[in-house]
Amino acid sequence: MHRTGLSLGIHQLEHTQPSSRLNHHHHHHSTTTASTNYLHTLSSSHLSQHHQDLQIESITMNQFPHGWGRPRDDVYGAYDNSYLNESQPITHTQRPIVTGTSVLGVKFKDGVIIAADNIASYGSLARYDNVERLLQVGTHTVVGAGGDISDMQYLHLLLDNLLIKEQYPADDHQLYAPQVHTYISRVLYQRRNKFDPLWNSILTAGADPKTSEPFLSYVDLKGTTYSAPALATGYGAHLAIPILRRHVADEEAVSNLTQEDAQKLVEECMKVLWYRDARSGVKYSWAIITKDGVTTGSKEIENQSWKFAEMIKGYGAQNI
Amino acid sequence: MTSIGTGYDLSNSVFSPDGRNFQVEYAQKAVENGPTTIGLRCKDGIILACEKLITSKLLVPGSNKRISTIDRHIGIATSGLVPDGKHFTNRAREEAISWRRNFKDSVPVASLADRMGSYAQAYTLYSSVRPFGITAILGGADDDGPALYMIEPSGMYWGYFGAATGKGRQAAKSEIEKLNPTELTLLQGVKEAARIIYVAHDDNKDKEFEIEMTWVTKDSKSATAAATGGKGMVWNGWVHEDVPKELLEEASKEAKKALEEDDEDEGETKEEKMDEDL
Amino acid sequence: MFRNNYDNDSVTFSPQGRIFQVEYALEAIKQGSAAVGLRSKTHVALVALKRNAEELGSYQKKIIPIDKHLGVALAGLSPDARVLSNFMRQQSMASRLLYKRPVPVARVVNAIADKAQVNTQHYGKRPYGVGLLIAGVDETGPHLWEFQPSGQILEYFGAAIGARSQSARTYLERSFESFPDVSRDELVLHGLKALRDTLQQDRELTTENTSIAIVGIGEDLKQYDGPRVKRFLDLLGEDGTRSQRAARLDTAMDVGGGADDDDDELAGLLGPGEGTSAMDTTE
Repeated sequence: MHRTGLSLGIHQLEHTQPSSRLNHHHHHHSTTTASTNYLHTLSSSHLSQHHQDLQIESITMNQFPHGWGRPRDDVYGAYDNSYLNESQPITHTQRPIVTGTSVLGVKFKDGVIIAADNIASYGSLARYDNVERLLQVGTHTVVGAGGDISDMQYLHLLLDNLLIKEQYPADDHQLYAPQVHTYISRVLYQRRNKFDPLWNSILTAGADPKTSEPFLSYVDLKGTTYSAPALATGYGAHLAIPILRRHVADEEAVSNLTQEDAQKLVEECMKVLWYRDARSGVKYSWAIITKDGVTTGSKEIENQSWKFAEMIKGYGAQNI
Repeated sequence: MTSIGTGYDLSNSVFSPDGRNFQVEYAQKAVENGPTTIGLRCKDGIILACEKLITSKLLVPGSNKRISTIDRHIGIATSGLVPDGKHFTNRAREEAISWRRNFKDSVPVASLADRMGSYAQAYTLYSSVRPFGITAILGGADDDGPALYMIEPSGMYWGYFGAATGKGRQAAKSEIEKLNPTELTLLQGVKEAARIIYVAHDDNKDKEFEIEMTWVTKDSKSATAAATGGKGMVWNGWVHEDVPKELLEEASKEAKKALEEDDEDEGETKEEKMDEDL
Repeated sequence: MFRNNYDNDSVTFSPQGRIFQVEYALEAIKQGSAAVGLRSKTHVALVALKRNAEELGSYQKKIIPIDKHLGVALAGLSPDARVLSNFMRQQSMASRLLYKRPVPVARVVNAIADKAQVNTQHYGKRPYGVGLLIAGVDETGPHLWEFQPSGQILEYFGAAIGARSQSARTYLERSFESFPDVSRDELVLHGLKALRDTLQQDRELTTENTSIAIVGIGEDLKQYDGPRVKRFLDLLGEDGTRSQRAARLDTAMDVGGGADDDDDELAGLLGPGEGTSAMDTTE
């Protein structure tokens, strides 16, 4: 039996000590090992007995210090400790705070155009009106972000560092849009798996400097990726996509779309969004990426007409 | 070297009775045979240059670089044990990235030199590591303009107008001392650096070599530089990059020619002298 | 060969600034049989000589594929090579996962170099005892790198490591200028000729002892062993033995262990011949 000591409980393990004296004396509470057990039994039985005595006496006085100054159990019932319960699940970001709205992207035959307005909203308040949501990453890529602005800024930091690291080897390798998109999608997916997402939806637009092949792809806070000839995030996904698809339904349509037409199309969509998306702004940034690189600019919605609004109940000084 | 054999030079972090750390001195020896490497602080930027001996014609020219980029605005050249130089460079890069993460700003050159000096020093403190077998020349530019530092295996570092290390450092130093750093422009610096590398080259060994040269400039013509600096990017406008190929070739050609002419002059004077003697 | 006070570990500089343990690790490469690498404008080829420890034993692995676009040939301690190649495979997969990009050759080579350097600067570690030739193709074309235990890496048009590899290097130096434009098969052929020059006089290249790998632009890494090597050996023609020139060189230099820096003092410790024994893990 002694040889099988490993599979025994602590109590029995003590029996397997080589000293025979220990074995003999175990039940006499005289050795150190045994006395520990003795103390344990003694104190617990002693306490329970003591407790019973106190319950009888507690009519006059509660001798447990932790009960002093607290409502009496016999009058108010047992104290409810549940407010001390700290076993709530850990939570991270549950909602975006300062947000940007739509980003639009359209492929055309020689490249891609991407646009996003410059508003950062705090709830329904247009808190900042000069926020740049398009970031040029290297020579042939632009990343546009909707959603939480501070998360976007963190992502910009990651991309900036990524670019610097990419330049270390000085070996003619470069990151282009497909690589940048994949990187962002991995970051976002990893963060969502930590239940601490970066609250953004991102469009990555680019063109291959050799083949001139346009690239446009979407990734959101859950890590979902999606590609199409025309993409939009946020409200644009509802309001601009139907318009965009009328013009660039498929890749064939892309190869027939000129840069000028693509620009006009985006202008039109930004205008619709300005009219109907209450979180949008009148000023927006755009970028066009072709095999020759990136051109960027800023624009304001032109030729506005708010006549239609007069039809809307509650708009302006209407008498109904 | 009188203490060789006394046992005080066998372990790092041990002082000899006269207060020397021999392992650090031996590490410096590793540098003294390294390739000649120089740095020049010019009015409008920094130049880093090194002599690269071609040990085999099977090597791919232009590959196997010795000068590296730390951050957009800082470069580093090391002489001595190449792998140690790579490790040191990687650490400097980590420091630069860490600075960006903490402060959303490009690391000032002085701060980076300070941190890297501390890093080198840490490797002189313990018997479980050895010092770096390199000296590093760190060049970059920040709000205070161009700055140049040289870090030694002991962790000691100084700021310089012109720094030289490696085999030909003595010859290079005396050439650098002839320059006027407050007036020197980058374009002149390229030519001077090429000339200095040629002068410091040990002709007796007669090995072929190529010059590797980079600069830190505010007017880079590269596409990468043009693509940088949008909102959201941390960059102070300075770029560490290869000196344009044509410029380097021209400077090398001139340096070589000047040196040959000097040699001829010397040859002539010698002959004349011999004539006189006769 | 005798000991000195400065060669016990890799954290002690000699008074001349040398680190002997690292230099000894470089010697371990020469204990292994030769491997040759060379590149053209479109392809990189690796050829290597396999040893078998005993007549009934198998021939050892000399070439390790890393990825579709990347492979290595080794000389020295093969367990060390396995550690490094596993690491390269991880790097390679990380690159594909994170960027959807086959890892650029120079970067994965730099990664193992950095790993190796650490082993030369800390007490209780030893340098790796293996040399590698890394062949790969990426966006910037075909590349051939040599890795050394010191953490030194160099990019070459043609390179050879391992026992008697100087003979192969001599061949490469004489013929590398023609490499850029040769065909895939011709490139392998040049490699085999270089490898053949590392053989001892009574040995020849056979389908058993020759290992070949080749990778090219738009062409995945392909490894040839056993019967599949035959096609290349047939191209080589003759009898697969060393060229007359190399034999002459040997005689001229009166060498048993090679016409180069292969004077194997350590070989005696490991066993007969070129340091091969049943327990030997060098390849």
